[in-house]
Amino acid sequence: MRIRIDLNGREVEADTVPHRSLASFLRNELGLTGTKLSCEVGECGSCTVLLDGRPVTSCLVPVAQADGRSVQTIEGLGINTQMHPLQEAFVGQNAVQCGFCIPGMIMAAKALLDRKPDASSEDVRLILSGNLCRCTGYQKIVEAVVIAAREVQRNG
Amino acid sequence: MADAVAVTSQIRKRKSVGQPLPQIDSAEKVKGLTQYLQDLSVPGMLYGAIVRSAIPHGLIREIDTSRAERLSGVRAVITARDCPGVLFGPQEPQDWEILCRNKVRYIGDEVAAVAAISPDVAKEAAALVRVEYQELPAVYDPFEALKPGAPVLWEQHPDNVAYRFHIERGDLEAGFARADDVFEHDFYTGRFYHGQMEPMGCIVQYHADGGYTIWTPTHLPFRSRMTYSKGLGVSMDKIRIVVPPFGGSFGMKYELNINCIAALLSKKSRRPVKIFFEREEDIGAGHPRMGLHFHYRLGVTRDGRFVAKEARVVGTGGARTFWTPPVLSTACYRIDSLYHFQNVRTEGFLVYTNQSPATCFRGFGNAEALTALETFIDEIGERTGIDPVELRRMNGVKAGDVSLHGWRIASCGLRECLDRAESVSGFRNRKPPPKIPPRRGVVRGIGLAAGHHISGNRIIINEYDGASAQVRLGFDGQVAVIVGEPDIGQGMNTVFAQIAAEVLDVDPASVRSLPIDTLVSPHGVGTLGSRGTTVAGRAVQLAAEDARTKLVSLAAELLGVPPQEIRLQSGSAVVASGGGSLSMAELGREYATRYGGAFLIGHGHFTPPTEIPDATKYGNLSTSYVFGTHVAEVEVDTETGATRVVRYWALHDSGTIINPSTATGQVHGGVAQGIASALLEEVLVKDGRVTNPNFLDYRIPGFQDIPEMYVEFVETKDPYGPFGAKSIGESSLNPTAAAVCNAIYNAVGVRVHQTPVTPERLWKLLETARTEARKKE
Ligand code: FES
Ligand code: FES
Repeated sequence: MRIRIDLNGREVEADTVPHRSLASFLRNELGLTGTKLSCEVGECGSCTVLLDGRPVTSCLVPVAQADGRSVQTIEGLGINTQMHPLQEAFVGQNAVQCGFCIPGMIMAAKALLDRKPDASSEDVRLILSGNLCRCTGYQKIVEAVVIAAREVQRNG
Repeated sequence: MADAVAVTSQIRKRKSVGQPLPQIDSAEKVKGLTQYLQDLSVPGMLYGAIVRSAIPHGLIREIDTSRAERLSGVRAVITARDCPGVLFGPQEPQDWEILCRNKVRYIGDEVAAVAAISPDVAKEAAALVRVEYQELPAVYDPFEALKPGAPVLWEQHPDNVAYRFHIERGDLEAGFARADDVFEHDFYTGRFYHGQMEPMGCIVQYHADGGYTIWTPTHLPFRSRMTYSKGLGVSMDKIRIVVPPFGGSFGMKYELNINCIAALLSKKSRRPVKIFFEREEDIGAGHPRMGLHFHYRLGVTRDGRFVAKEARVVGTGGARTFWTPPVLSTACYRIDSLYHFQNVRTEGFLVYTNQSPATCFRGFGNAEALTALETFIDEIGERTGIDPVELRRMNGVKAGDVSLHGWRIASCGLRECLDRAESVSGFRNRKPPPKIPPRRGVVRGIGLAAGHHISGNRIIINEYDGASAQVRLGFDGQVAVIVGEPDIGQGMNTVFAQIAAEVLDVDPASVRSLPIDTLVSPHGVGTLGSRGTTVAGRAVQLAAEDARTKLVSLAAELLGVPPQEIRLQSGSAVVASGGGSLSMAELGREYATRYGGAFLIGHGHFTPPTEIPDATKYGNLSTSYVFGTHVAEVEVDTETGATRVVRYWALHDSGTIINPSTATGQVHGGVAQGIASALLEEVLVKDGRVTNPNFLDYRIPGFQDIPEMYVEFVETKDPYGPFGAKSIGESSLNPTAAAVCNAIYNAVGVRVHQTPVTPERLWKLLETARTEARKKE
């Protein structure tokens, strides 16, 4: 089937098989490998992207479901060398170790801040609880998201 | 709790070392630009899939690959007939085959493999391979496997003992005779999966000269070539290993047979082949931390001195040998360098069973031994009436001590960690545990455990120990660190950059660490044995010092002053008394102009003060030693047994801290994994089959399971590591499970003897204790 999505603000049209997962479509057909695959059963959040602004585990979403909608991936965050406040804060706080969970983590955090710009550390722990990280023990991720929230709020 | 990082040393006049800088490669990572193995492909690449044994134990009668070969899109199918047929492996006994020849020994054992144009076709083809077996009785429990008459996995090992460990020092009987009390303790630590977010995988390309290029994230790119070269029957130099960024490992990705399988598929298909596991394969047929049984007998004098320790350690190794023999050894005797037991005897057995082969995990057997021992010491404290922290102080090693087995402890902050842990956590004022576990309600308890680890371990390669490094100046003035020890995601490259930047006084953010490729990188023993910062970091420091000497003499010549007049300062060479300076870029270009375009390179190598142990296993095994103390506070729901860690304190002596931010991150991650091993995670095996091979059923901790932690470094001065730095990666995890178990005891008054302490297990213990109390009434 032919699908059309608004990908990171740009119109993309492609032929694909409808049952293919959105994650696989992004990675294998569009070459956007920033979205990671880890469990492929919707349990880890590594593959989180935003579908019409809402976080989804793209390993479970059939690409057909994205037809005619907007998809945001980690590649769409920040402009060129300029980073999104979340990316800045993740770097600054060393909330990144191996980094494999991080694209999904940041996309989930973006959805949180879009909805709740004054997110507290309790909010982060609750709302990101579907995203797993094996390296960091989460504390620095919580700190980074809270710092980014302040930054986002300050800049309106 | 808020201000969780404190470095207790006085502020030093250092610019890079000691600074909480961001990881130098994290900008790539947060933008999703880092190319992990999952993301890599090579032109013409095929995808491999493995045909695995469906039975736990049996003889192979026939393998029919014809239907798989006929499937369109299949380019190669291999069986044992395509393998060189030698037994090989990373440790003794060598029992890897690439593909099973006569016999399968676990559900998941590798029987055949296919390469095809897509992962789906490869999978389909693998399913078309028919294997006929003659089933044999299987054995899963190591104690059953040790009994006479048990099913035998390897005829060379009729007793199913893959490896036996024995150590004896002092006079055990005399020690026990001196003891006023003798205590006994049993503990079992369960089979635990690494849970690294990126599953295992590799890409291998066969070359016309008979060699191979292997892209795989491995801790030991150089050493693993020995294993693969024997298995594949080619010389070591024909194997080139390129190390992409790691999506986590924690010990899983040391040396893997899939590299050999992909190599033979590539040889047969003449195309590069990628094997990349799905999660189910990674858990179900992967190589977890082995289950370990500990039995301890400890003799103690009236005033609390340890005078004799007898131990028996049994490991469930699985069907083949990965890195389990040294893990077992470590579990047997590393704790003898934490406390002076004076007289010891330990027997260890690594037992073959019909499960997937286990391997090493962060902590390398010592975390498990400490779980057993530190819960035991807590109990001894209770039973002797001597404060358990005092027992640790009294018997613990000190700086300058030589352990029973000849391990030389150059620096030791154990007492400082114990003191600080007691005072920051309020452990000293804890309430006594309840006599009878309460019937309902949520109760709190607090527990403490000490721990230690090596820092730069020997016997990874027998003949030598150490590391080499180069520090190179580019024409744009950029400094590059070139080592053979890969960054495994923990931030090693950043630590190296900070060390080099400190020596050369350049901006550490501008220093790069080059990717590792065995064809061009300097030799490195590997990133394991907590040797990265201590051993490789020291080599980097020495290489940077060599580069500095070269820079200074070049600058002196160019500026017409004696070398003593030159200072390296903020990215330039300046004349100390004023009057002239040269930038790093100018120096780099000038060097090239003089020497035929050559880069200015400083060389360094470090040979640590370690020894090859003698026949009795006596000899200093590690460059340095690290120490720590953890305190956990838990909440136990007395009706369900569910336990949560609610507060946590971690105190560590890791020498000088090169980067307090990344070091703290190591502690956070180590503690999280320790909590997981204590409360949550266990690979469940029923009749040889893993019953929870996915993240739905094998639950790794999330945000809600890990508390906020207080982390503090108690810095000691160590003579060996760079700027006195020691390791943190493994020691961060080691005391965790014991601290949690001790906290559970303090909360409910019941001792646990097995991890993970699942709600069901704890509930049963609580019920038993309550029933017994009722009977006594
Ligand atoms: S890979 Fe999609 S949730 Fe884990
Ligand atoms: S940083 Fe490694 S899994 Fe999160």
